[in-house]
Amino acid sequence: MKRLALPALLALPALLALIAACGGRYQAPPPVASIALPDGSQLKPYDPAQPGKARPQGLEQAAGRVYVTLSNQRDTDTFPVNAGPGFLATFVASTGAITLIDLGGSDGRQCQNPGFVRASADGRLYAPCSGNFSGADTARAIVEVDPLANIVTRRAAIPGGRVPNGVAVTANKIWTGDAFTTTVFSIDKTSFTADPAAPIPVDCAKSAFSYVADVMAIRGGLYALCGSDISGELYRLDPDSGAVLAHATVGPNPTELAGLDDGRIAVVNAGDNTLSLVTSSAGGLTAQKVLTFSSETAALQDVRAFGHILFTVASGNNTAQRIDLDAQGGPKVIGEANFGPGSGPYNILPLDDLQAIVSNRGTNTIAAATWVSVK
Amino acid sequence: MPPLRALWRYLLPFALLLGEVARAQGPGETIEVQGERPRGSPQAPATAGTAIETAQFGGEVRSVAEMLLAAPGVSVHALGGPGQAATLSLRGASADQSLVLLDGIPLQGPGGGAVDLSTLPATLLERMVVSRGVLGAQFGAGALGGALELLPRTGRESWSGGAEVSAGSFGTARLALDAAMPVGNGNAVVALQGDRTDGNFEYARQLTPEIPGSPRYGFTRENADATRGSGLFRLSQELGSDLGLDLLLQGSAGLRGLPGPSSSPTPRSRELDQSGVGGMRLRGAAGDVGWSVRASGRLDRVELRGLRAFGDCDDGAPDCPRDDQRSSNLRAEGELAFPLGEANAFHALLTAGSDRIHGNGTGPHGRDVFSASIRDDLALPAGFSFHPGLRFDSVGEDAGLSPGLTAEWKPAAKHPLTLRAGWGLSFRAPTFSELYLERGGIAANPDLRPEHAWSVDAGAEWRTALLTLSATAFWSSYRELILYQLFPPARVKPFNVGEARIAGLELQAIVPLPARFLASVSYSFLDAVNRRDGHKLAYRPPHRLFARLARQGDRLEGYGEVSFTSALPRNAFDTAFVGSQVLVNAGIGVRAAGPLWIDLEAKNLLDNRTYEDLFQYPLPGLSIAVIARARF
Repeated sequence: MKRLALPALLALPALLALIAACGGRYQAPPPVASIALPDGSQLKPYDPAQPGKARPQGLEQAAGRVYVTLSNQRDTDTFPVNAGPGFLATFVASTGAITLIDLGGSDGRQCQNPGFVRASADGRLYAPCSGNFSGADTARAIVEVDPLANIVTRRAAIPGGRVPNGVAVTANKIWTGDAFTTTVFSIDKTSFTADPAAPIPVDCAKSAFSYVADVMAIRGGLYALCGSDISGELYRLDPDSGAVLAHATVGPNPTELAGLDDGRIAVVNAGDNTLSLVTSSAGGLTAQKVLTFSSETAALQDVRAFGHILFTVASGNNTAQRIDLDAQGGPKVIGEANFGPGSGPYNILPLDDLQAIVSNRGTNTIAAATWVSVK
Repeated sequence: MPPLRALWRYLLPFALLLGEVARAQGPGETIEVQGERPRGSPQAPATAGTAIETAQFGGEVRSVAEMLLAAPGVSVHALGGPGQAATLSLRGASADQSLVLLDGIPLQGPGGGAVDLSTLPATLLERMVVSRGVLGAQFGAGALGGALELLPRTGRESWSGGAEVSAGSFGTARLALDAAMPVGNGNAVVALQGDRTDGNFEYARQLTPEIPGSPRYGFTRENADATRGSGLFRLSQELGSDLGLDLLLQGSAGLRGLPGPSSSPTPRSRELDQSGVGGMRLRGAAGDVGWSVRASGRLDRVELRGLRAFGDCDDGAPDCPRDDQRSSNLRAEGELAFPLGEANAFHALLTAGSDRIHGNGTGPHGRDVFSASIRDDLALPAGFSFHPGLRFDSVGEDAGLSPGLTAEWKPAAKHPLTLRAGWGLSFRAPTFSELYLERGGIAANPDLRPEHAWSVDAGAEWRTALLTLSATAFWSSYRELILYQLFPPARVKPFNVGEARIAGLELQAIVPLPARFLASVSYSFLDAVNRRDGHKLAYRPPHRLFARLARQGDRLEGYGEVSFTSALPRNAFDTAFVGSQVLVNAGIGVRAAGPLWIDLEAKNLLDNRTYEDLFQYPLPGLSIAVIARARF
């Protein structure tokens, strides 16, 4: 009897402990409001049986509206494929109403896989279409869009072997980088054809790979960002000739840059999870790492500025950050938002120094940031 | 689409000793905690090693990975909770650089490299021996961090057997049966193990980690269930006075969810795996000469369902094909051991065979393997012994020599002090996956060259009936390391771009205490540095401490243990870290009736639900299990 009682004595606390172990003690995460982007047949798939997903990326404001590029890609067990033409989607945040702009032209193949979209000083929109990354397809282009009419107005084909990445609109030219090499090249703004001049090298130290992460026009200047597995280099170029004027080393694998109103340039470095500020002067460019993000923040994707407030996104942990550059002791994260598991925020657009929206490449949505702020 | 940006998030597309008496053991630094057992690894005398008796974990629900944590120099990379993939790292080497052998038969993962420890049934094993160092001369090409030898249950001269059943948190349950019996002029053993878990534990995350003090929210792990069945059959027959035959068959099959990292879960992805290992050995002796010949083979199949390059999909949908990967190998080997004079014992080994792989991701490929090795166990006066070895390995188009030398000094046969040292140089041929796998965001590189490494270590051991202490320091150098790098436009591809230096310290103490208690502590220090830029290598914990106090008695047993892993680098630039972790486990059991024991075990007693593995895979909080077992 005594022996049999022992297991019974053990079993009772075991059952109690089992019950205790199964209990939840943390609050459920709050819901995230978002606007779903068009999908499937709405995106004119080449094969109706194999439609794509929006896969939104670049965000820009023009003509009082917000525009976002849609890659329109279909996942496979290998590399995503272009399921249909590239699109720009414009929407009214208050109503969620979305208008689609087909960038693919008459055959639907004049522009595939648009990533960036930037507005020129005169209000036009420009988007580089990267095609299928073979460097040989005809869907590689720079397209110009009139945001007032929401139509494609011009298209510039990309020379063979090059894959456009990033776009900068200067007074006379449209510059883009090459995703395969560390060079930049230009499109004549008047003729809207690629310049015959040889591409301009903008290298950075590497051990395995390097590429041009972005090119951007900032306060009349032209900047190109070279990213590699171990380093990164920000270049200032002549906006007409592309001649290298200065360069500075930033962090490893930089992904984006943003111009500040005081002339400084912010760069997010995905490799080491840092933020660099680059100061431009007559003597050249000087870079300084001013912020290291937390260990949980992963895969920094984008940076934008509104005054001295920076906005960043990190797709690895589905977050966006709001950073005060003038905070006591140096730049500091003062707010953070989370867009939910699998959202994969890719780009961010500040509407003012508090409000910002992001494009969620994972969930194919647009969402407004709800900041959790430092108390 | 801009290339490369934050691709990594998608491409991630990975968790004791108990005994009553510490016995004398030698040669070598191999420490055994319980029982009068044979040496650690006969293949690698005088190497740094640890032997783990699985019987010491009776009354505990242990996986192979969990038992290995008792050994210094070992870390386990586990992708989440029970039943999920776990790989072995020895002395900071990668899983591909650590050999795993079942009764001497080399195991490989489906891609020809790292072995998933979760597919190895713990109750079918009797013993595990961890040997550390660059041990190509002893174990063959690929043992750059060392080798794990899995020794399955052995037969007995009389009928014996056991049964174990357990049930616990998260729908986790196990049933294990084994029987050993005399058969003909020998014996046989049959063992079966079945495991299942729902894996639906709760975990907690800060959604806004940049904000100090921001709240943690609770999530329930989904699609982390796992079911596995495994079996072992072993037969040993004496065919004559000096002739014997051994047969080993082992198989395992499992189905599990692939839940993905917490930041990007994949609720629809599944994995089906099947594996089988078979070996037959004829052994004999002619005078002082011992010999054996063996043929062995291995088959592995892994099928991925509902998994795509960037997330999951509906299995069975036209755009969601299953990914079927199969690999196999065949080996034939002959071994000769003979004395040469009174001081020398030579061992010679010849192995030949082939490796094959076939799958959607790799296509069909094969390569022949050949090796020849010789080792001398040289006993010298004054307690010195030397063990020089040389091995030639040819793996497909890659070939190389692996020399090694270990030495030991013991002042007298029963003296408690033993000093040892070792040196080894070897290489690792690229795996089939590294050479040919094109899947998701992974690109193949058929132009890869072998990795090379060498290491030196030295240690001391003090062994008495009351205390066993050991300490080993090592230094190793790696070059031509194969590392996956981001590869434009949006993939990763392996390149021979790494150079590393890994140094460390391994300490272990075992203290038998009164009342049949045993205390053991192991500590590992690692300093793993990328020689190209001076940064620390990612995912290597600088400090790991394991402490355990256990009692095994006739009527009452129990244990308590603490496992501490320090914060470790998450990236290659010393700017992001996985936080430190402390796990406290405990168990207590009583012999309820006859041979029947009832045990209660609690893991992660502190119920910390915030831990995660290297790739953002959440780890379970407190779990409770009830175990009933009996041995006859």
